[in-house]
Amino acid sequence: MTRTSALIALMATSIVATPIATASDLTVTVEGISDVKGSIMMGLFDETTYNGDGAVSGANLKVEGSAVTATFADLEPGEYAVRLYHDVNDDGEMNTNPFGMPTEPYAFSNDAKGRFGPAKWDDAKFIVEADGTAHTITMN
Amino acid sequence: MDLSRRHFIEASLGTSMVGALGACSVNPRGAEAATGLSGQAGMPDWHIGYQNAPTHGFEPAPMQLVFGKPPADLKGSLYRNGPAQFQYGEQFASHWFDGDGLVHRIAIEDGQAVHQARFVATRKRREELVADKFLAPGFGTLGDESYSVQSSDDVNAANTSVLMVNGELLALWEAGSAFAMNAETLDTKGPKTWRDDLKGMPFLAHPKVEPDGRVWNLAVGGPRVGIYRISKSGVLEDFGMVDIGRAAYIHDWTMTERHLIILVQPWINENLRPPVVAGFEWQPQHGLQMLIVDKDDFTRQRWAQAPARMFFHTGSAWEDSDGTIKFDVVLYKQPVLGVGGGAAEIRGEWTGYESREDGILTQVVIPTSGDAKLVETGIVGEFPQVDPRYRGKQRRMTALTSGSTPNRPGTTGLATHDWSTGRSQNFAFGDNRIVEEFLFVPKAGGASDTESWLVGSVLNLKAGVTEVCVFDAANVNDGPVCIWQADYSWPLGFHGTWA
Repeated sequence: MTRTSALIALMATSIVATPIATASDLTVTVEGISDVKGSIMMGLFDETTYNGDGAVSGANLKVEGSAVTATFADLEPGEYAVRLYHDVNDDGEMNTNPFGMPTEPYAFSNDAKGRFGPAKWDDAKFIVEADGTAHTITMN
Repeated sequence: MDLSRRHFIEASLGTSMVGALGACSVNPRGAEAATGLSGQAGMPDWHIGYQNAPTHGFEPAPMQLVFGKPPADLKGSLYRNGPAQFQYGEQFASHWFDGDGLVHRIAIEDGQAVHQARFVATRKRREELVADKFLAPGFGTLGDESYSVQSSDDVNAANTSVLMVNGELLALWEAGSAFAMNAETLDTKGPKTWRDDLKGMPFLAHPKVEPDGRVWNLAVGGPRVGIYRISKSGVLEDFGMVDIGRAAYIHDWTMTERHLIILVQPWINENLRPPVVAGFEWQPQHGLQMLIVDKDDFTRQRWAQAPARMFFHTGSAWEDSDGTIKFDVVLYKQPVLGVGGGAAEIRGEWTGYESREDGILTQVVIPTSGDAKLVETGIVGEFPQVDPRYRGKQRRMTALTSGSTPNRPGTTGLATHDWSTGRSQNFAFGDNRIVEEFLFVPKAGGASDTESWLVGSVLNLKAGVTEVCVFDAANVNDGPVCIWQADYSWPLGFHGTWA
């Protein structure tokens, strides 16, 4: 249950949209969204923030089709990871059942999956190159 | 029972009524099983109860009437569930409780019985089948590190019982969602979500159905327990949470017409991480506590206290006019798991008899104030069942499997106990048959629970086939009314329902 709470806390990290794209951009596409409503709430993390409360950056993306795309600009090249959830009912929270398990879809970069908790940094991390990177996450 | 009928049953069933002479090897059909599970080389005969079912289950196949005359009014389906995948190649499952659920339907009409079965298509089932090895963690299984677990349904074996609600068949486990299935074809539809905010909540494998069809059930997660109230049309009417104080193991519970009774046994598991079985701790200093919850207002609660006991299964409860609550339950003086039980049998090993703890059918009497009393019947057994017309109400009868043998796991007989007279009856099938749960099926026009059929399955070890037997609940001593026999055996199961 402790790990579940940690997962929720991590997924619910406050995030801010950064719409301007320049060099060293990261483009993250989320595919396979089954419920066309609500928003994809995405957090971008580096290793030091991945298991904490803050995010390097984030995006709140209205769902109007089966895919959405976010662009993060002016990133330092290096290792990053994405955590996201689909805020289906647009209440700004990752909803959970009474035992704290998420009831809204969520995903991690590399389509990494956790084992009794969120995906580990080593499984979710990917490299943002100096000349830009595109990354795709598939919801399931 | 006339002499010729008894003689035939003794000869064909190998009962112990005539002692060792009764252990006859005659197969009523005069031949060994033609298809299905055959014994593995070097394994004892009882091991057919712990062998894999065919990957795609069993297509509908008529069973043969091998004894007696089927009751003309017996029409419906016996649905059962149980673990049925124990081995991939040379790899054995770590625990009986972690085998994938195989849901059976034995459709009975016009004296004919037809058996069919399908595995529940859980994620665990699908991925392990593809990988050809066990992956998911579970009750007695550590699991493969590569297998992701993001919700309890990722490890759901859907292997414990079944429930029919408004024509929808549900395969039940205790730590995850119910799985909806087609009641005719046994095709899996998927996990059942009773309400969006309850997605993934556990749905215990022992729901309680009131005589009018309303369903009550629990969601157990450590010391917090959810309560479902579901209409007979399958709509969630209410859900609430109560605190039971400790992470007690809860497999079953009971209810009267007015109250839910949650038994908080002193068998605690604070660490619900795989393998779950490794985390149990017996803490008898707490005794057996019971939280009594008002069905109309979950905040209205009181506690009752009894001496320390462990249990798996209750029969049912009722309230006397003065508010005294009475229910029957099979109680053990100490836990019967956590010592390897359920693992060795899969490998064909049986050392459990010496270390076993007998479960005694017991009536718990909870006065309106003061401690509860335990009234033991002396009947050793398991899988207690009552007439569905009397769930929550005062009644006479409990039926349960009974008896054991040093030579193998499983029970050997069927017993009934009449609470109004204190009389018990028993039919001993003998060492060559493993007896499974028997369900009450009300006779047409029957006015009390003594006017019922008892329907259940029996694994015939001599013939290597599974049988379905019918008893008259009022005359269990007389032996089966009729027996249908399959051409094959299927693995031992846990619980069922009649619909």
